[in-house]
Amino acid sequence: MTIAAKSEDTLDAVSVGIMWDRLVAISDEIVTTLVRTSFSTIVSESYDLTVALMDGDGQLMAQGTYSVPVFMGTAPATLQHMLKRFPADSLQPGDVVITNDPWLGTGHTFDINVMRPVFQDGRITAYVMSITHLPDIGGLGFGAAAREIYHEGLRLPVCKLFDAGQCNDFIIELMRNNVRAADQVIGDLMANVTATKAGETMLADFLVEYGLTDFTALSHEIRGRSEAATRQRIGQMADGTYRNEIQIEGVDGPLTLACRIDITGDSMTVDFAGTAPSVRQGINVPFCYTRAMVLYSMKCLTVPELANNGGSVVPITVTAPTGCLLDAQPPSPTGARHMIGHFVSPLVFGALAGAVPDRIQADCGMMDLMTFQGTHRDGHEVSTIYFASGGFGALAGLDGAETTPGPSNMAVVPVEVWETLTSTTVERKMLLPDTGGAGASRGGLGQEVVIRNDSKHLLTVFCMANRTEFPPLGLMGGGPGRVREHRVNEVMVDPKGYYELAPGDRITMVEAGGGGYGDPAERPRAAILADLAEGFITPMGATRDYGLDHPE
Amino acid sequence: MTYRLGIDIGGTFTDFALFNEADGSFAIHKQLTTPDDPSRAVLAGTATLLARHGLDLAAVVEIVHGTTLVTNAVIERKGARTGMLTTRGFRDILDMAREKRYDVFDLRLVFPDPLVPRRLRAEVDERCHYDGSVEIPLDLAGAQTALRGLVEEHGIESLAICLLHGYANPSHERALREMAAAAYPHLMVSLSSEVSPEWREFERFTTTSINAFTQPMFDQYLGRLETGLGQLGFTGRLFVMSSSGGTLTPETARRFPVRVIESGPAAGAQMSAFHGRALNQPELLSFDMGGTTAKGALIRGGAAIKVYHQEIARAHDFKAGSGLPVQSPVIDMIEIGAGGGSIAEVDVRGTIRVGPRSAGADPGPACYGQGGTTATLTDANLVLGYLDPGFFLGGAMALNMGAAEQVITQQIAGPLEISLARAAWGIHEIINEDVARAFRIHASERGFDYRGSSMVAFGGSGPVHAMGVARKLGIPRVIFPVAAGVMSALGLLASPLNFEVARTRQAFVADLAQADLAATFAALEAEAMAPLTAAGLSPDALSISWRLDMRYHGQGHEIEVSLPPGIHVDALPAIFREHYAAVHGAALLDAPLVITTWKAEASAAPPELATARPTATGEATPKGSRQAYFAAGYVTTPVYDRYGLGVGAVIDGPALIEERESTVVIGIGDRVQVDEFGNLVAELAGKSVANGEASP
Repeated sequence: MTIAAKSEDTLDAVSVGIMWDRLVAISDEIVTTLVRTSFSTIVSESYDLTVALMDGDGQLMAQGTYSVPVFMGTAPATLQHMLKRFPADSLQPGDVVITNDPWLGTGHTFDINVMRPVFQDGRITAYVMSITHLPDIGGLGFGAAAREIYHEGLRLPVCKLFDAGQCNDFIIELMRNNVRAADQVIGDLMANVTATKAGETMLADFLVEYGLTDFTALSHEIRGRSEAATRQRIGQMADGTYRNEIQIEGVDGPLTLACRIDITGDSMTVDFAGTAPSVRQGINVPFCYTRAMVLYSMKCLTVPELANNGGSVVPITVTAPTGCLLDAQPPSPTGARHMIGHFVSPLVFGALAGAVPDRIQADCGMMDLMTFQGTHRDGHEVSTIYFASGGFGALAGLDGAETTPGPSNMAVVPVEVWETLTSTTVERKMLLPDTGGAGASRGGLGQEVVIRNDSKHLLTVFCMANRTEFPPLGLMGGGPGRVREHRVNEVMVDPKGYYELAPGDRITMVEAGGGGYGDPAERPRAAILADLAEGFITPMGATRDYGLDHPE
Repeated sequence: MTYRLGIDIGGTFTDFALFNEADGSFAIHKQLTTPDDPSRAVLAGTATLLARHGLDLAAVVEIVHGTTLVTNAVIERKGARTGMLTTRGFRDILDMAREKRYDVFDLRLVFPDPLVPRRLRAEVDERCHYDGSVEIPLDLAGAQTALRGLVEEHGIESLAICLLHGYANPSHERALREMAAAAYPHLMVSLSSEVSPEWREFERFTTTSINAFTQPMFDQYLGRLETGLGQLGFTGRLFVMSSSGGTLTPETARRFPVRVIESGPAAGAQMSAFHGRALNQPELLSFDMGGTTAKGALIRGGAAIKVYHQEIARAHDFKAGSGLPVQSPVIDMIEIGAGGGSIAEVDVRGTIRVGPRSAGADPGPACYGQGGTTATLTDANLVLGYLDPGFFLGGAMALNMGAAEQVITQQIAGPLEISLARAAWGIHEIINEDVARAFRIHASERGFDYRGSSMVAFGGSGPVHAMGVARKLGIPRVIFPVAAGVMSALGLLASPLNFEVARTRQAFVADLAQADLAATFAALEAEAMAPLTAAGLSPDALSISWRLDMRYHGQGHEIEVSLPPGIHVDALPAIFREHYAAVHGAALLDAPLVITTWKAEASAAPPELATARPTATGEATPKGSRQAYFAAGYVTTPVYDRYGLGVGAVIDGPALIEERESTVVIGIGDRVQVDEFGNLVAELAGKSVANGEASP
């Protein structure tokens, strides 16, 4: 065999592929460091975090694959805000810059953004940023209760937590004085610092191993290829203007979210004109969060298999009218911005039904989060989050999974763990037949959970439920899922209120079903009969929703 | 003379290792696996091997058996028609699963169907609390009616009894078993309080349903095996390998087939640990790569790291979260969808992606000439010159170089406009990167610093890639053990009889009385020792270990803490802090300490596996040479026959060292030496940065 040795460009497809995978692996490894060294369950269990690697020009070259949707692509903008305050040429090795400003970071004060510049031979070759949701940040606590941002705890401007390796103890003390569970908060803050340090080491080693002096050319190549892949997928969508408008529940009444999407060739613009103005509750959404939700949703529709970077987002322009719910301005409160922000996903999916009918998803039943505070039967304090999911929206040819959250994500606390931690009793936790929207593909089922207060103490429950008036919608002829409801001792209650459960009281959560996809008449008879046999639909439902005769 | 025999059933081959206790010599054999009834290959291979050495099976005092039968039954859904009795209000736990997406970007993600469909689950009136107290007594009459429906209308053959908090109070589950046994004596029954007495109902119920689903099949299989071995004249003791690196008696394996799931890979990792101990290398990475998957394990302090949860039968591209959870002791394995059959393609980025799709063994890689039309890793390794077209599987199968060149040119090199060699190299190197990444993340999650450690490499493709992977990880040394082709079969013989029990019971350390701690462990110890003493071992011959899962109050994750048996409760906080700091760094919380799960393990002494050392010494002489790709081009590379290398022989890379099942690829600047046991020990050269990449 005589194949001549051939010298080829350093950045051919082989080299780029290997080094690209490695950068993504580095961001994932930083995430594991972050998770391992963090203190709060919100990081270690819910993965409410992200890690982003930017090149020396501040361009996003890799982001951890575990990133939650709301952190998609926020880091480069945050970095620019940081560099405005501390220009790159003023930074030194060992500097760590932080902020939790909702408008500079990721939309509410709970998220801390921690950035470390990476130096090589005296110049900055990269920036590592780590972002986590802190267990507390002071103020009224996690929820929608605030009337203005000043109720939402400590708002740190861009500042240096470490200056050339020297910790600014003032900032630590300031935080300790302003937050609950200070040990956990400071512990998580420092876990971010440790994670960025690990990232600095790994990136420096990377350059040495591959004989590079900086990331510029590699980053350019990675982003260019990602942009091309995204453009190719957008190019497959039919050109046109697509609109959608939905009603969602605010605290004091319905709110309108509207969008207009223009697809032209291989790029798109998304605008939210027509969306209601911001409100005096902590559900307003800063634009950074709105944009992240759009980028996340578009990634699901374009190249979900590709880890995110700065190239994927170039073909997508996002705008919103200043001061609307989706571009709230200070001093609007933003603590529970997810309550509105999560709806960006179904809003844009609904708009694009005509453009990519085979890719979009019917509405999800979404998740139901509530905070329980009280005292355990054994005397210990109880302060914890309960989570239950509605059904997943159906897609073309694919039924929605039962009790599966979207667009955000969490994991249920097992009943046995929950009861042990709270001394409450879960009387039942069952799927609700017929709650998934009918369709050629059926929406995922919702569930019913009944929790009884057996703690022998008063138990307070704070709720932020959605989908109680406006059901998860079906698409392409599919039916809606069932709406969500909360009951206390069998009496319907305000889904966004808080209740005090006396010993023996029960709270019932009925979780929404996912929307169906396509005309129910097109659902294969075998699928209907299988659902019937398993009890996912009832005989009555089979007749009503699918016109099945004599389902017995 | 007495012998011990290890038999490991793999996807393609059933491997045999026959060890002579008297002189430490061993004989090996490979027999094609018979998937329709794997006991056929086991019996036929046993007969063949013994006949070859003129031995009678009566000379074999012990057979240790590893098998993928249980895993395969779950993956292929070929198990018993299984029903479930569960607490009223909780019938749907299996469908609701974790209420979490394992991939937030892929809207079309799929989850595995429960092994027990909803229509075969029935509820019974009863309710226990987390502290074991009973709120609603068991309605046995109602349960009997429900069971009658499952058996007589639905025809279930096996039953999983899964009650809420069954780990805290097993009395209702036991009463249901008695009822079921009286009504249907032939129905097999699995209790969640015995299969997996730990909290987390979805995981426990799923684990119990896997046990029930596979139990009738595994029972029949062991029956056929015992009968067949008896007919061949076997009068010794049979043991079955568990996932956790110990062996089980057939009685225990019949009760808990779920504990046998990863037995083959566990044996491989055990053998890596064995080599590590023999070579005084207590920190190791065990790397096994075959035709469709690669498996990794971390060896810490001479023992494979164990965990109490794993996932099998992943529904989606090997993605964590897409499989069925199993909550039972298991060696903490990394599974990667990377093997010789992994398919290479140009991805959406315009770069090469390899796996996890695999051409498997049939049709297999294009070079097999069996109709495979996709470019695979084996095709790439052939084009790179690492494999000899005339000496694959020791020459048993001819490889078609032209076919390999053609598919890689058409599918990879052409579209990417790069040379054939560069494309093949890219395929090879992407796999190295994938494997390295999996090790990095796995090690990082466990706080394991691998940089000073060694790697043990085996499997058909492992030795081809080990040096490349080690270089990426910065590992200085790779060991290619003697008899790597039957690594798992040998590992079976290095594993002690062992049983462990984990039970959830929450307790605040500050409130825990010493007598309570001692009594709880005493009960667990008795449970762990029972199967071993029943097998005839004296309690004095068993070593006992205690472990606890502990956490700070309010935290979601436990860490496992090893304790010296007999420890006093007052010593727990300090031991916990030490473990915590090792995993999480130094910072500590001022929060109450909570115990969640208690564990006791009983173990017999590990069997002696003092293999005879090779006697031949001498310098290495190549049997030939061929062109192989290193760094940036093809070079003439000497080829050695591994079986012709004497102790002390030294080879400087580049070099190819062939054995029947694999080829060891040694890069430029690397050096390999045959040690006193006959292992190849390779030292990596300093990192090469030529052309932006490391050489293999």
